[in-house]
Amino acid sequence: MTTVETYSTLTRTETAPRGLIGAAPPTHAEAEEVQRKYRREPGFPVPILIAPATLWLVVFLFLPLLSIFIFTFWKSTGHGMAPAFTFDNYRAFFVTEGFFDPSNPDFLTPSIFLRTLWTTFRFTISVMAICLILAYPMAYFLSMQVEDFKWQLALFLLVMVPFWTSYLIRAVAWLPMLGRHGLINEFLISIGAIDEPVSFFLYSEFSYTMALVQLYVVLAVGPIFFSLAKIDRTLLEAARDMGATPFQIFREIIAPLSLPGVAIGMIFIFVMLMGEFATAVVVYGGKTSTTGTVILNYYAIANYPFAAVNAFMLMVAMMIGVIVILRVVDIRKEL
Amino acid sequence: MRVQQGQWSRRSFLKTTAAGVAAAGVAGSFARIADAADGLRSIGLGVSEINEIQDKATKDLGFPVSGQAMGYGDMFSKMLNQNDQYEIAEGYYNDMDVMLPAKVWQPIDTKKLKDWDKVTNLTKTGRLTPESSVGQGDAPYLFLWVDEQGNKTKGPSQYISMCPAFHNADSIGYNPKATGKTIESWGELLNKQYKGKVALLNVPQIGVMDAAMAIEALGLKKFGDKGNMTKPEIDFLIDYLIPLKKAGHFRAFWENFGQSVNLMVNGEVALESMWSPAVAAIQAEGVPCVYAFPKEGMRGWHGGLAISAKVKGKQLDQAYEYINWWLAGWPAAFVARQGYYHSIPDNAKKFLAPEEWDYWYDGKPAAKDLSDPFGTVIIKKGDVRTGGSYWSRYSKIAVWNSLMDENDYLVKRWTEFLTA
Repeated sequence: MTTVETYSTLTRTETAPRGLIGAAPPTHAEAEEVQRKYRREPGFPVPILIAPATLWLVVFLFLPLLSIFIFTFWKSTGHGMAPAFTFDNYRAFFVTEGFFDPSNPDFLTPSIFLRTLWTTFRFTISVMAICLILAYPMAYFLSMQVEDFKWQLALFLLVMVPFWTSYLIRAVAWLPMLGRHGLINEFLISIGAIDEPVSFFLYSEFSYTMALVQLYVVLAVGPIFFSLAKIDRTLLEAARDMGATPFQIFREIIAPLSLPGVAIGMIFIFVMLMGEFATAVVVYGGKTSTTGTVILNYYAIANYPFAAVNAFMLMVAMMIGVIVILRVVDIRKEL
Repeated sequence: MRVQQGQWSRRSFLKTTAAGVAAAGVAGSFARIADAADGLRSIGLGVSEINEIQDKATKDLGFPVSGQAMGYGDMFSKMLNQNDQYEIAEGYYNDMDVMLPAKVWQPIDTKKLKDWDKVTNLTKTGRLTPESSVGQGDAPYLFLWVDEQGNKTKGPSQYISMCPAFHNADSIGYNPKATGKTIESWGELLNKQYKGKVALLNVPQIGVMDAAMAIEALGLKKFGDKGNMTKPEIDFLIDYLIPLKKAGHFRAFWENFGQSVNLMVNGEVALESMWSPAVAAIQAEGVPCVYAFPKEGMRGWHGGLAISAKVKGKQLDQAYEYINWWLAGWPAAFVARQGYYHSIPDNAKKFLAPEEWDYWYDGKPAAKDLSDPFGTVIIKKGDVRTGGSYWSRYSKIAVWNSLMDENDYLVKRWTEFLTA
């Protein structure tokens, strides 16, 4: 108990500046003191400490993923699947009939499943971009402009408010807003801006994008906010003293130091959006397919191997995406 | 229990406690297994899985019956893959092509069904009345009869795959104010006049059949069997639909009952493929809605009660009791008030008021206001059910919900349609 107290008094320096995580880092001497007090206790060997989590991950994550991969080579029996070693499912995923036939109109046309994955990816990227454009200023405002810690916390909680209700309610709530007889249309008609209700507000790419941004933007605000809040304010002060313009300070200090938060936020959003399948039903009227819906559709007709191929390819695409993001930002180094 | 001082180290205490907890846990799960061996768990769609029905069964039969209403995909998967998780499957004949070879259900002995003789010929021969047409696709009679091992037989047999119960015929629901006329043909779904005001059901197997009905009605193509289309037929259909979708013909593709209701209540669509209870739900919101009786005929579906292959002993007897209870009519009358029909209409009649029978089954004008099963008035005095009596509707089923041989290809092309 005493060590914990000592630690907290050590890090919370008297001069702790405003802000949520704006504490100045401990001095060298303090850090050494902490190190000394926190030398690893002998007693629990590392294997025991990591065993529960490892076991959990192996049984409930690694093995299921492995089984999905194995099922991709099995064959569908029409009412289930049977062990086999076939590449037919992969062939069906990548290649359409007439793909290799120059006389066929579908010559070198990617299969519908590949195109769906591509559409899913492309859409994900554009929603991510919008989320970033919206989330960064929000996080910047919260961490840099709001002085009082209480206000910071209050406003941050306010940003989280949408997460207090269920996912479905947040999506469904758009319907009375955007519909042909929704609030926006009624308002535009009442002020005489339009005569006829505009239909593209709902069941369109517009409403789909809007709903997704609203659903997921918070996932980016959080991490960006925290990484901005962590920036040592003395750096900014020093830069100002040296005559840096606000833009220079942003470009040289704030932007690079907030990158880890941006990367983490983008990874969150990327992974969620790539697996998305339910929002399209609600606000896009099911007028598009994502790889998620393809998996569902094949699962629903008991063609599990082909659903597995789609799931596996989605996983590969996600991994590539995450690796690319991590390539751009070396989170380990930055943190 | 006397505990000697000093005998209890912390470790031994923990050990004992852990052992005790584990023992209690094991005992608990045994108790639960023992519990499960008495009573029935049934799974199905919201059509038949309604608390009031299972509660009434529990009361009437003296053993617990629980029900779980699921979405179609989840229900299908659970029925197929987890037949130890339910005793009764309230399933659908159009899934039999998958369920029968998988042997997830056990054959039902008709000798143990009290009113088997009273079950109509709709499921026995395919013809409700001698003049009826059988309809294309997976007509239930094709999947009813099995041998003792559960293999399909050509003709009647002592055993059946599933006991026929609730069924209905689907068509188009429309808002007469928005369409400006009576809808009498499936072809109207693709009528360019209604551009942007049409919705289809986003279940590939059913969505294509509704579209095929429309294409045939417009005289664009004649399908060999709309319930089992060939690849070129599927291609023709999807290739016809894609440009329509690109031109904005379809407002939405709905996936659940609530969505179909909202689409019309919110004025998003003028007409859509629909399930009949939606009409009442839409009218209850003050929006006019009529269920069309297309001249080409309706799209039928048929459900029933199957027993999981894992059920035996006392529970098997209880399963038969439950099925007999369904056939006896109380639940049949309950679902009739939502527009669903029953395989023994005479038994349903016993539990329906004469006015209810006249409206729901006989196609006569309602002699007074009628309520849904939960007591909300949904039918006003004088209303007439479209399509006439049960017998006139079911003499003209155009096609049954089906699982096509080219199901994989169908799902693939449907994906393409939605992505277009």
